[in-house]
Amino acid sequence: MLLEVRHLTKRFGGLTAVSDISFGLDEGNIVGVFGPNGSGKTTLLNLISGVYPPSDGQLLWKGEELVGRKPHEIAETGIVKTFQNPQLFGELSVFDNVAIAGHLRLKRHSGWRRVATLFPLRRRVSADFEHRIREILRLCRLEPFGDQPAASLSYGGEKMLGVAMALMCEPKVLLLDEPASGLGHDEVRNLDTVLRDLRQQGTTLCVIDHRVGFLGKLADRAIVIHHGAKIAEGRPDEVLADRAVIDAYLGRGHA
Amino acid sequence: MKLLLLWIPLLFVPAVVHSNVVLTILIFTFILGILAVSFNLIFGFTGQLSLFHAAAFGLSAYATYLSMAHWGISFWLGALVGIVFVTLISIVIGAICFRFKLRELYFAIVTLAFSELARLVILNWNGFTNGSLGINFTLTPTVWVPGRGVIPVAGTLMWYYLSLAAVVLAVVFYTRIVHSWMGRCFASIRLNDELADTLGINVFRYKLISFVAGNIGAAVAGSLYAFYISYIDPNYFSLDQSLAIIAMALLGGREFVAAPIVGALVLTALPHVINVNAEARLLVYGLILILTILLMPRGIVGLAARRRRAA
Repeated sequence: MLLEVRHLTKRFGGLTAVSDISFGLDEGNIVGVFGPNGSGKTTLLNLISGVYPPSDGQLLWKGEELVGRKPHEIAETGIVKTFQNPQLFGELSVFDNVAIAGHLRLKRHSGWRRVATLFPLRRRVSADFEHRIREILRLCRLEPFGDQPAASLSYGGEKMLGVAMALMCEPKVLLLDEPASGLGHDEVRNLDTVLRDLRQQGTTLCVIDHRVGFLGKLADRAIVIHHGAKIAEGRPDEVLADRAVIDAYLGRGHA
Repeated sequence: MKLLLLWIPLLFVPAVVHSNVVLTILIFTFILGILAVSFNLIFGFTGQLSLFHAAAFGLSAYATYLSMAHWGISFWLGALVGIVFVTLISIVIGAICFRFKLRELYFAIVTLAFSELARLVILNWNGFTNGSLGINFTLTPTVWVPGRGVIPVAGTLMWYYLSLAAVVLAVVFYTRIVHSWMGRCFASIRLNDELADTLGINVFRYKLISFVAGNIGAAVAGSLYAFYISYIDPNYFSLDQSLAIIAMALLGGREFVAAPIVGALVLTALPHVINVNAEARLLVYGLILILTILLMPRGIVGLAARRRRAA
């Protein structure tokens, strides 16, 4: 198992946002986390990515404890997350946004040799690095906007840029926080293609969404959380047919 | 690197201009330019409003002179002592501020407190620093000139070329940093440090590197400045000095490495251009500052660059 979440709990004062959640991510899988708004999905991702320290529980990366590490250290192990509301470097170009996200790639590929590139004898950015940025921009259909400031993108474009930046980090596990929300029909289809592509390349995905349609088709396994607790886990079609899930989440009208 | 060619005409200025006043203004512009350019690495490119810059400038001036006077070393070794001293202090102060994640005004206030601390130590350590009376120098830097051997740096012409060389080196140094992967890390911290963190950028480390690299420029400027005017006193550390540095960066423009030098030129030349009595001069001076910042929020160079793009 690549990443194991054990009894993860987060309390904000009297509110328990995430309560005793356990699950595992196997390599190359797409796991969907479903739940209504406010059920604790985003908090769960923030706990895994180290933005918040958990109140209780463990996070094991290939058996190694992650709790207590800082977000940048967790990103360095290969767990990268995107934001529900796109977080960007608005005044920089789309290209530069992805270039910044290439920090870890640069660090992995050149190590301390990257310090030498600061001196005039070495080239600044290797051609390979720029090539990879263009490739990712093409994959996310952002190529025509490469030189535009990121803030000028449409909402859908901003979300795709978030995915592009996460890809540039070369994640082993990609945590996506509602990647499809606010996207148009075509954009959702494009996102679907990109994510399936990623799985083929062996990236493990953990996607959260409150909409069942998009994620239900994509995920290999589904987890449903409600009021911060896990109420079901299994194959998406089975889980979404589960009585408790329908009651808690979809509402009785769907039964 | 092509922009470096713009500096070439400055090599010939002394051949054309014989006015000592103009050359002196340029020397101050170059030395204070190093101070402003290095400040802008921390402020303009990394987004941290440091009020320690004047202190780094002053500490290095004192460290350079005192190490020369006590250990009998040359100016260049003394300047190195100044740089090393400022580097160590910057690491300590930066580590404290950034470990506690002090942002914006909190960072400004704490760096100002450290700056005041440094000033008070210099002011009260009479036996070592001569307190508020300051120190008049008898020592001068020496350079090796082909054909003439090692000679002391004296006279406007030699100082002109020495300070020009220093400011060009500083601009090259900071340009390399800003237009590199490290500069991208700085920009990411300025624009959205939480996002930078989730992208695997060690925000603490790069804030610290920026702070130290910036203060090293202030250290170089401090050594040169002190030996150019042959005098140091605790006023080097004053808040006025810190504010003047901020004004230079804002006037010149924050987005370009060399732009603060234009700000340094304006602020150095203004008192000579505005020929009114001292009290009124400060008034005019303040007014010009306020108007420039209101009318040209991106600074003189920022405005010029936009005009050129629009044309």
